[in-house]
Amino acid sequence: MSGATEYDLVREDTSILELGAGATVGFAVVLFGFGLAGLFELVAVTESVAGVQLPRLLGGLLTLASAALAWFGIASHRGLVPTDPRPSAGVVAATGAAGVWFVVGGLVGSQTLGFGTVGWLALALLAGAGGFAATALPREDLGTTLPVAALTGLGGLALLTGVIGPNWAWSPVGLRATFAAPIAIPIIVLFCSLLVGWAGAKAYGGFGARGRHLGAYALVYLNVLAILGVLVGLLAFVFTKGAPVVVQGITVGPGVGPETTIRLFGFAHTVVWPVDWPFVMNGVSLYAEVSGVLPAIVGTVWLVVGAVLFAVPLGVGAAVFLAEYAEEGRFTQVVEVATNALWSTPSIVFGLFGYAFLIPRFGGSKSLLSGMLTLGFMLLPLVVITSREAMLAVPDEYRDASAALGVSKWQTIRSVVVPASLPGVITGVILGVGRIAGETAPILLTMAGATEPSAAETADVVGGFALSTSPPFVTNPALLEATSALPYQLWAIISTGVGGDAAFGWGTALVLLVVVLTFYAVGIASRTYFRRKLHE
Amino acid sequence: MSDLRRPPHDGRRSVQRRVTAAREFVDETPPTALAAGLVGGLALIGVLVGFLVQSPLTVLALGAFLAAFAYGWLRHQALTARAMTFAMTASTILVLGLITVFIFAEAWPVFEYASGTVFGVQVPGLELFTTTNWSPVSEPIGYSLAPMIHGTVMVTVVATAVAGPLGVAAALFIGEIAPPTVRELVKPGVEILAGIPSIVYGFIGFTILSPWASEAFDLVGQGTYLFVGLVVGLMALPTVVSVAEDAINSVPESMKSGSLALGTTDWQTMTAITLPAASSGVSAAVLLGVGRAIGETMAATVMLRNSPALPEPLYNAFYGYETLTSLIAARYGDAHGLQFNALFAAGVVLFVTVLALSVGSQIVEARMERELGGNQG
Repeated sequence: MSGATEYDLVREDTSILELGAGATVGFAVVLFGFGLAGLFELVAVTESVAGVQLPRLLGGLLTLASAALAWFGIASHRGLVPTDPRPSAGVVAATGAAGVWFVVGGLVGSQTLGFGTVGWLALALLAGAGGFAATALPREDLGTTLPVAALTGLGGLALLTGVIGPNWAWSPVGLRATFAAPIAIPIIVLFCSLLVGWAGAKAYGGFGARGRHLGAYALVYLNVLAILGVLVGLLAFVFTKGAPVVVQGITVGPGVGPETTIRLFGFAHTVVWPVDWPFVMNGVSLYAEVSGVLPAIVGTVWLVVGAVLFAVPLGVGAAVFLAEYAEEGRFTQVVEVATNALWSTPSIVFGLFGYAFLIPRFGGSKSLLSGMLTLGFMLLPLVVITSREAMLAVPDEYRDASAALGVSKWQTIRSVVVPASLPGVITGVILGVGRIAGETAPILLTMAGATEPSAAETADVVGGFALSTSPPFVTNPALLEATSALPYQLWAIISTGVGGDAAFGWGTALVLLVVVLTFYAVGIASRTYFRRKLHE
Repeated sequence: MSDLRRPPHDGRRSVQRRVTAAREFVDETPPTALAAGLVGGLALIGVLVGFLVQSPLTVLALGAFLAAFAYGWLRHQALTARAMTFAMTASTILVLGLITVFIFAEAWPVFEYASGTVFGVQVPGLELFTTTNWSPVSEPIGYSLAPMIHGTVMVTVVATAVAGPLGVAAALFIGEIAPPTVRELVKPGVEILAGIPSIVYGFIGFTILSPWASEAFDLVGQGTYLFVGLVVGLMALPTVVSVAEDAINSVPESMKSGSLALGTTDWQTMTAITLPAASSGVSAAVLLGVGRAIGETMAATVMLRNSPALPEPLYNAFYGYETLTSLIAARYGDAHGLQFNALFAAGVVLFVTVLALSVGSQIVEARMERELGGNQG
């Protein structure tokens, strides 16, 4: 506890000891990587490398890390290392340690020593209390390093001595599940290296406020990296699995593609596509070389169009009222609660509602129109919320300037507020559309048609319109028929047994992902663009 | 704040004031506009009623409404716009009301069927929760939702354990820690995570994760609450992140700089100032995340066993049977009669739970805004 080094404002030189703590963190990172690779079966943790069994090697590394950490803590306590520890590591760290040691004590008591419930509970409580005391009572440098070092040492020694070897397996009583070495070893390594990394980062910062700062930042950065890693991994995985299916048989050239005939109230016009892309231009067919998802794509497009036509005018109108006309009071409060409640209502409940409310009113069977409206109901709260926010974000100066010109309130809204808020509204709508385009649960109950639609079953909404003499005067059978959609098709592939057709499923998943993420990318990009423009 | 804005008033005076205001409005408004408004309003109600009773005459009411609207738009645009936007606002409440009425009405028969007696009082729907037997076809017939509620709880607990801490940490990162360029990268990343459709998660879970888990842990059959919970947690994560980040951002900068000026580290400021000040908003974020997890359907449906049962022991997360959502999605096709009503009863349970969570989180958020004295940013 030499005061001179404690109150240095700037730490100039990287001492050898800091280097030591840094090396411990590095050690933890390498071990963490090993653990991940083992968990994802990139490295077979039960095999041998250069004559040494991998579990023993990992155990040795863990033991080394544990020893380094313990040495650092003791050295700091003795004053050999210039650190700035507090009297205690704090209640948060102590509670964490208590939790970990409670579990370890309970597992050792019930599984290794074979105690009864009372026995293992007592041991677990004892271990938990010990962990708490060992962390909270000593000075921070010891309280941080020693419990972690002890746990890591325990794990490391178990691996090093072969107690947990390649053939180790543990079946907890009554769970009907087995933890075998290929799973257990990576998990032990991951967990221990996480703790060592945290304690090492704290040590690197010299404990105290700076140490805690570094320790916490290490964990937060790791967390964010993990989230991004999962995201990139998921996308890459779907792309590699789906891309070969989707790009099958693409040919480009004038007149190679299929013909499309557009009919509207008796007029017809035929276009021949210059591209042939079988996966997105075919239906499911036994005769075609490549089965495709055209009916599902068309179904999804019409669903989105219908939902947008229903929800956007309604939602924007409601937002205008809430942002411009309504005074804060009971009514706006109720509306706000209702929109937020609608926004968080589970999609399957919307499906049930559509089934009970819409289907009997649109011919008694599942139909495209019911699906559109159900998704429209889902989209509505999002449009209201985002549009209202966008309108409230329009500066009052705009309104005042317009009012000062003697313009009426409605004209101000129409020609100032709404245009100014348009970017925000559009962004909200695009993001909302991205969400509903991928929804399966609501359309399962309201719209779902053939599970393997052929090209002939593609919904022809434009050509379906016809006039009639009896109410409701305009009819469109295509709207009242069930059809397919991309998420529904994927569900159908799963529910009919994926066995022989997993590749088709991955292709469908990729197309769905691309469609939905395009909406998201456009929405996010436009929001960033308009925000930047606003701040210029 | 709200007390200042709305002084306490006695009921009669407020009614009187409203009547006077209404009379003034009627006096000032041109009679043609009033007539058009009246016709339009009545026609709109006619459309609604006609649609509800499935009358073919609905289209006539719709025509009358459109005519009144067109007239109003051409002659009295401002008034018409105001009336229309009001009607649109009311429609959001109407939708929520319709959902409530319709799913309750469809669920009612099974609530009646499964009523139980407590202290001599008949409580409809009690046996849905107190028995554990779901057997809609073979004797003894029973429509217990208890196994599914247990499944939903298991999945939600695991999902919250994933999405809560990781989501709040990621929100801290985006709101406080990350340098601007990194934030511009991470924030859209998290949003895109929200964009991945649940059925895609489900497909990956079904084809990769479930078989892997089953083999790795040597399980009997496929489907575990643990892995469904992990996947659902990943899906609920973006909700937690974005709401918690809003809460963290709404803590006034002056509070943070005041703390930093005392010489604290960034992390000390976060734990001692920012997080406590934003605690209501952060808990609201976690509540909303829980709501998302409860309502998640497709991943649960394709990854679970879809046979209602309670695992043994009850906390065994390695065996996953059925959740409330997967019950509906997996059985809507071949259910009829009371079984179908029972699916709606599951929907009612979901709806009421999530509604309570949503309202609860809004109350919590409102408290935060009051505490911080509004958004001073």
